[in-house]
Amino acid sequence: MHGMTTYFIRRILLIPVTFIAITFMVYAILRMVPGGPIEQAELQIKMAAMQEGGAGAALEETGDIQIPEEAMKELKEYYQLDKSIPVGYIIWLKNILKLDFGRSYVYGEPVLKVIVSKFPISIYFGLIGYFATWLVCIPLGVSKALKHKSMYDTATSVTVFLGYSIPGFVACLILLVLFGGGTYWDIFPLGGFRSENWEQLSFFAKVADQLWHTAIPVFGYLIGGFATMTILMKNSLLDNLGADYVRTAFAKGLPEKRVIFIHAMRNSLIPITAGIGHAIGLLFAGSFLIEKTCNIPGMGLLGYMSIIQRDYPIIMGTLVFLVLIRLTGNILSDIAWAIIDPRIRFEK
Amino acid sequence: MTTKVLEIILIIIGGYYFTHRFIPFLFVRTGRLFGFKMKFNPIWQKRIRRFKSIKRGYYSYILITTAFVLSLFLEFFINNRPLYIKYENKTAFPAPTEWLDKVLFFKKINCFNKKSDFGQIGEDEVDYRLFAKMVENPEMILESLKKKEQEMNELQDELADTPVPDEYSTEDEIQDYNDLKYLISDVQKEIDAMRKSYRAFKENRVKIIMPVYPYSPHEHLLDMPGRPPHKPGLSHPMGTDDSGTDVLAVLFYGFRISLSFALFVAVIGYFFGTIVGAVMGFFGGWTDIIIQRFIEVWSSIPFLFTIMIIASVVQPNFIMLVLLLVLLRSWIGITYYIRGEFYREKAKDYVQAAVAIGARNWTVMMKHILPNSLVPVVTFAPFGIVSYIGLLVSLDYLGFGLPVGTPSWGALLDQGMKYIKYYPHLIFIPSVAFALTLFMVVMIGEAVREAFDPKVFSRLR
Repeated sequence: MHGMTTYFIRRILLIPVTFIAITFMVYAILRMVPGGPIEQAELQIKMAAMQEGGAGAALEETGDIQIPEEAMKELKEYYQLDKSIPVGYIIWLKNILKLDFGRSYVYGEPVLKVIVSKFPISIYFGLIGYFATWLVCIPLGVSKALKHKSMYDTATSVTVFLGYSIPGFVACLILLVLFGGGTYWDIFPLGGFRSENWEQLSFFAKVADQLWHTAIPVFGYLIGGFATMTILMKNSLLDNLGADYVRTAFAKGLPEKRVIFIHAMRNSLIPITAGIGHAIGLLFAGSFLIEKTCNIPGMGLLGYMSIIQRDYPIIMGTLVFLVLIRLTGNILSDIAWAIIDPRIRFEK
Repeated sequence: MTTKVLEIILIIIGGYYFTHRFIPFLFVRTGRLFGFKMKFNPIWQKRIRRFKSIKRGYYSYILITTAFVLSLFLEFFINNRPLYIKYENKTAFPAPTEWLDKVLFFKKINCFNKKSDFGQIGEDEVDYRLFAKMVENPEMILESLKKKEQEMNELQDELADTPVPDEYSTEDEIQDYNDLKYLISDVQKEIDAMRKSYRAFKENRVKIIMPVYPYSPHEHLLDMPGRPPHKPGLSHPMGTDDSGTDVLAVLFYGFRISLSFALFVAVIGYFFGTIVGAVMGFFGGWTDIIIQRFIEVWSSIPFLFTIMIIASVVQPNFIMLVLLLVLLRSWIGITYYIRGEFYREKAKDYVQAAVAIGARNWTVMMKHILPNSLVPVVTFAPFGIVSYIGLLVSLDYLGFGLPVGTPSWGALLDQGMKYIKYYPHLIFIPSVAFALTLFMVVMIGEAVREAFDPKVFSRLR
């Protein structure tokens, strides 16, 4: 167990290093490029001046409008742009450690509040999607392994490969065209998290409405992870079915069902269970596309919109969350793996 | 219509022979010329035989490679510029020059032809499709000539009614009169040009060879009835998008861009990944540990988000996007496997022997170990290509990909999203093309994997 402990200690020590490296890189990129908060403020002031002075009169002046020296300084101080990049970064990092992510330019609210309000929505879809994938892939993978090289196996393989070739968001788009009430059938809503009148619905109607909005995005998540997981399940079970201990179990006269579902299944589920952490990290990476497609107001859409609107505090906040989720997810995966499978050794 | 079908069949067959007969032949011959044996060693021969025996993968491979090689010559097949145009004694090769212009990207080659040089009126580019129609049916010119002559008569009448200005006329009257005169001389010029071109067309002194599908992904067909996007119809089997660009043309050019993008990302990424992995595996020790830690940090970058951030501030072009993806993603995955291969190979006798006779590190790595460690590169490439095509489409879809106006599947999907209720073809067409292409590449990858590693059952990635 000694090697394991050092392994995990090293992994955990690497978290802050990774975190700082990534956030510093993005911070530097955001600071170095034009279109930052100062330019935005300038633009806003110009717009305001234009509206005040009336279109005709202001047009001549717009070129000359300068933000007064002092105001500029104040602005820079407010956004910490008067400091060099490393110093600014350290101040930002200190604030992050105090859980002060700053204020969103667009929403005008503390970033943390905005992100926390969006977070559960993403988790909701991500987790349901993930477990739906399990629900489909494990039985499918098992049956494919048991009927390896049969017609059934080939036929389902085609489906699996097709699923692999269609990204989740494209699947969502196709479903939205078909069932979103455009040219074809009007069965599901064209996206959104809930109906607008959700608050006024009765309990059962609320649940139904929620599920109604959940179906298509979850299918997108399902398609996204479907192929890899099915194949993983199949291969892992096949590996185990060929192992000596299975032959022994058969040899001592255990019934086939027991050997397959109790002995072999247990071991073949290891890689899938252990992948939870990884999968959660990946779920959030894929969520930009699906949340944009299905118009779900979660973390992905927030991150996407913040980039379009140049809402730097939100961008940095989303980044912090994404990185932390990914890093902890990876470590959780390793820990889960070590717990489930005592044979695992991470040292070489 | 039948000639079109025939032409298409001919192009496909020609493409097959070019890709799978001529290019390998050329390759082997030039290789021999430089003194290489140009033969695979028995293990690879066996692997290739096994790959060929897996039919679905092999046929997908033939199809995709043929399609890709053909797509490199798309300017000759799908273009609004003709292959060849002749008007009296003026000739030009607009499509080939356009293709050459793209191949020799460092040099600007002019493929622009003025209307006035080719019997049409104006200084902008020749309307080649109109030209082709006129070649088929010269009476068309006569019709428009009649219209022009009628216009001329009306103008003449108007001129007759207008009093000739004298010293008592106002300035406006003089102006009007002069304008009218000017207009008449203009129309007269047009009529002369038309008569001349009619003669030229009638006497067969013109020639034009249009591509099979005479539309380009860079033109906006604004003279079609109704407002774009158009639904699929007879003249445009896949309709047009919202800027009036033919979807079929975009689809094919998008195929070329997506596939070459993925190929570039994969090849460059694997090149660097192999070097890094080789260094890690060969030297081991601290070099290995430090690079490993670095990769661990680097691979935790949420890279879609990072690319979006970068792309939002600097509009990336093709090369920049390729390099960005290589830098952030594509070199990483392969390093683990190459590292493992090098660790394993390093311990074998032939490496020890090479070291013992005093071969330098670099020689041992590149000449002795590398050829024996390339299996992961080959088996990874197809799945890498699948994911990079998917990435490009995703980025274009999100609006952070190649510049606007580049023919791309992702941009089509984004438009489809906008018109989701009314124009489903904008979603169906690119997604079917996308899924079909990726499906075939996955088939190839599957077969390659099976051929190279028969004990592994079936594996993605």
